[in-house]
This record gives sequence, structure tokens and C-alpha cells, in this order.
Amino acid sequence: MMFEAKNVVVSLGRKQILHHVGFTARAGELTAIVGPNGSGKTTLLRALTGDAEYSGEIAINGQDTQSLKGWELAAMRGVLPQAAVLAFPFTAIEVVRLGLTAGLSAGNTRLPTQALDAVGLHGFANRFYQELSGGEQQRVQLARILTQVWEPVVDGVPRWLLLDEPVASLDIGHQLKVMQLVQQYAKRGGGVIAVMHDLNLTAMFADSVTMMCNGQVAGSGPVDEVLNNQTLSTAYGCSLRVNTMPPFGGTFLLPHSASQPTMGH
Amino acid sequence: MVSITDIPRQPDVPLDRRVIARRATMGLSLLLAAASLLSLTYGASGTSLWSALGDLLAGRELSRMDRVILFDIRLPRVILGILVGAALAVSGAVMQGLFRNPLADPGLVGVSAGGGLGAITAIVLGGMLPVALRDWAGSYLVSFAAFIGAWVATMILYRVSTRHGRTSVATMLLAGIAMGALAGAAGGTVTYMADDQQLRDLTFWSLGSLAGATWAKVLAAGPIICIAVLGAPFLARGLNALALGEASAGHMGIPVQRLKSIAILAVAGATGAAVAVSGGIGFVGIVVPHLLRLATGPDHQALLPNAALLGGSMLLLADVISRTIIAPAELPIGIVTAVLGAPIFLWILLRRRGLVDL
Repeated sequence: MMFEAKNVVVSLGRKQILHHVGFTARAGELTAIVGPNGSGKTTLLRALTGDAEYSGEIAINGQDTQSLKGWELAAMRGVLPQAAVLAFPFTAIEVVRLGLTAGLSAGNTRLPTQALDAVGLHGFANRFYQELSGGEQQRVQLARILTQVWEPVVDGVPRWLLLDEPVASLDIGHQLKVMQLVQQYAKRGGGVIAVMHDLNLTAMFADSVTMMCNGQVAGSGPVDEVLNNQTLSTAYGCSLRVNTMPPFGGTFLLPHSASQPTMGH
Repeated sequence: MVSITDIPRQPDVPLDRRVIARRATMGLSLLLAAASLLSLTYGASGTSLWSALGDLLAGRELSRMDRVILFDIRLPRVILGILVGAALAVSGAVMQGLFRNPLADPGLVGVSAGGGLGAITAIVLGGMLPVALRDWAGSYLVSFAAFIGAWVATMILYRVSTRHGRTSVATMLLAGIAMGALAGAAGGTVTYMADDQQLRDLTFWSLGSLAGATWAKVLAAGPIICIAVLGAPFLARGLNALALGEASAGHMGIPVQRLKSIAILAVAGATGAAVAVSGGIGFVGIVVPHLLRLATGPDHQALLPNAALLGGSMLLLADVISRTIIAPAELPIGIVTAVLGAPIFLWILLRRRGLVDL
């Protein structure tokens, strides 16, 4: 099962932002969308979520997203916004509970508490959302999305998490924990599509990567194929070195400026 | 952090605000019943509800005057008070949910201003209408004009702020301010043309009153207000999701555009009907939802029915004060709601400052 976009064009006024983009994410994998500022990665995600008007085809699990009703889509995928400003003084648990009304698990009243625990916010249930820090708010929103599509697979059909920079305002500890959480969602059969800023976290957790540059796909495929010196340096316009950590064999990236001595592999 | 698979099952929060809200619903139902009894009991005349009930139970005929005062003056006034209070409070709550702003109010987006302009026009220029039409409309001309004014204002607003089937809340808010100014200017011009008696009528209308309550008015406003108030809880789930923003509400499967259209229609209908039969009664639409949000939280599932109950109760109590404080004369109820509502509102803001963000 896949989340697929073919020949997608998005324009804002007369300016074309995405030029005939193709994109594929497989269920069971964490697919990262990376790229420099203004490269169109968030726009691509907005097209996938249906927030941006597009021409072309986008299909979730083989079904055209535009032919599906809002509640059908809500049962199939959860969308984590980059930042969510809440209008009224809801508590954390009340925000998470909103996810219950959207998915297929309306009857499972224990779910919101479990989801809050899952994102590491045990004991935050009755705190006012507006009083939480940015990172805590982001994790409350993630808990809400998880509540909406808690089971990664329902009746053999995978469900999807579409995440817009899920770890942007988190400290490094919570970055790792949240990435592990969504990675686990993918391992259990669900699909995860995440717009990522941090290339090192991407290298650590993603199964496949789509690199955007100037509204086009600059490369897509497994992490070690896409994240290489050549593609990265061209896309980001700076010198980036891809290295391998000796003890674990993990990939990590290091930028260096012209004035620094070049580092070897 | 625990993995998704092995989370221990835990009981939900022991006493959450949903429980408090359910208790509040019961408490407010009792309050409304008590306020209704009080309102039936007290009045400028000495007629007593209890002695009348005693007479009825003992099988005695009520005196004609008691019957008129209880059933033709006080009872329709009680019912109209409940209807208007519920309409104003629920309209306020729905509008605030729709605009994602706790200070939004039908008064803010020009709906009430449109109603006001209709009423002013009818009071001052009603005399120019053909006699046949004037006789047909009778004393309901002002109410009818206020209702039409509120509807027209809402429809213009809706047209201005809707493009390609999408209603922009920000545009609507700004357009509402412009509409309010325009209606105010037009109203001012008409007022300038008014004679002394009409000026007096205008002033009293704008202060609001339930004094003209009749069964006919109850029957005229009742159906619209009942549909809006009883239907509003069906919008609760959508309004809750809307607190996260329109995009997130859409991702949660809420048909956002349809929700907005229905909510705007409900608010226009309820506010129009309320303004039409009672004039300009302020503060109910802001204070009631605000008090309830502080007490039981912003969940519209509980907020909307509770707002109807508290709005009705508050207006009845304000009406009792307005009828008895300078009896046998009557203080316009708008003055009472403002005198009571404004300090309560300020007190809430001061007390909760910094704790709960507006």
C-alpha cells in the first residue's frame, strides 16, 4: 500500500511552486521529505493533505484523495500541523480527546491518556494547553493525531501519519523519543511521511528520503543513495560532508565552511 | 516515553471538566426553574402566583384580573425571556467558536446593528408606509423590520466574505465592523429625522425590554429560536475541532464550509428574532459563555446547552430586577444586564489575568 503523488503542480497566484512532482511513500516505512527553505517540501505535504489546491493525481492506499470524503480521509490519516494556536483554554487531555472524535476509535475513552503517556506527557493531562512550552504543545498535538489513527493497520489497510516538522521545537532527548515513536508506528505497518529539517535525524530514522529543491524532486530513494555529498551540497548551496560513525555504522552529516580544513570520510 | 504497544491501561482523569459540566447542566436547569417561578411570582401588581395556585387547587375560579396578569402578562414574558436569553447566549457561544475568538458576538459582526437599523427605520419612517400595510403589520412592524435588518446584514456579510465557496473569518470580522459603522451612520441619519416621541421610542427600544411580551411575539420568535438553540449542540463537535484552526478541523473530517454556513444561519436567525422582540439587550452573549468556559471548560458539547440555560436564567432574573426595582415603573432590561454584566466581566478578566489567555 502506498501514498502516491503523480505529476503534481501547485501554483500560488501565477507563480508555480511545485513543478510536476512525483512522490511515493510505502506503508511500513518512514519517508522523509527534506530540502532547503523554500524548496517546496511543506507545499508538497500540503498537497498530500489536501490543504493546497493542485493539479495532478494524489492517491492514498490506491484511492484518489479527492474522491474520498473528509471523514473517510480522517479515518485513514492524521495530519500534524507545524504549529497549532488554540483558540480557547482547553486542557492537554481535552485537546487529545478531540482526536477521538475524528478517527475510528470514538468508543475507546482510555486512548487519550495512553497517547499522552506515549509522547512522554504523563501527568500533563489537566494542564492548560496554552501554558505549556512550544515543545510540549507539539507533543500534545502529536498525541491528538495518534489518538485519531491509533492502530497503524485496520482490516489490513495501513493508516498514515503526515507530519510537518514533528521535532522542530523539541530538545534533543525528545527529538529522539518522538522519532522512535513514529518509527515504531511505521514498523507496525503504518505509513509515516515527515517533513524534516534535521538531516542527521533523517539519516538516523528515515527508510527513504525525497529531497526537494526549487519545487522539484532532486532525488528520492533509500537514505544512503539520496543523502550524498553531491546532492546535498548542490541542494543546500553549501559544502556538506556525509560521514559514517565507526562504532555503529550510522550516517551523519557535517557542514564545513571554506575556512575550515576539509574532513575526510 | 513508553512504546505504543505496551502502555499500561490507566483510568481516565478522575474528575474531569466533563463531569463538572454535567453537574452544571443539572444545577442550571434548577436555576432556570427557580428563576421562572420567581418571575411568575413577582411583579408590579400584588397578584400572587401561590394564592392563585391555591385557588386553582381548591377548585375556585381565578379572578379575571389574576388570570390576565398571570397568563397573559407574566407567563408570555417568562417564556419570551427564556427564549431571548437562550438565543443571545447561544448565538454568542456559536459566534465565538466560529470566529475562534472569545470576544466575538453577534454585536461585533454587525448582525445586531442591522437589526437595530431595521427597528429605527420602522419607528421613524413607519408612518410613511401605506395605511393598509401599516394596519396589517400593526405593533409588530418594529420587530419585523429588526428581523429583516439582521438577516440582510448577515447575508451581505456572508456574500462579501465568501469567495469560491470558502468563508474567510477574518474578512467577515472586518466587514462586520464596516457594516456596523454603516448601519450606525444610516441609523443616525434616520434618528436625526425623528420627532420627540419617536426619539423616546428609539431610546427605549435600543435599551431593550421584555415589557411588550405577548403570546403573539412568543409564537413569532419561538420557532426560529428553538430550532437554532436546540440545533446548536449538533455543531458542537465541529466547533470544538475548529478551535484548532480550519485546516486541522478539515483534517479531522469536519465539513468546515458547511459548518460555517449553518452556524452563521443559526446565529442570524436567533439573534434577529431576539433583537426583533426585545430590542438591544447587551452583554448576555459575551458574559454567559465566558462564565461557563471558566467554570466547565470550552467544550461546546456542554457549553451550548448550558449557555441556553444560564442565558435564560440570567435574563429572567435581570427582568425581575428591572420590573421591581422602581415599581410600578420599569427600568429597561438592557440597563440591568449592562450594570450587572459589565462589572462581572471586568472582575473575571482581572481575576484570571495571566492564567487563561484570551
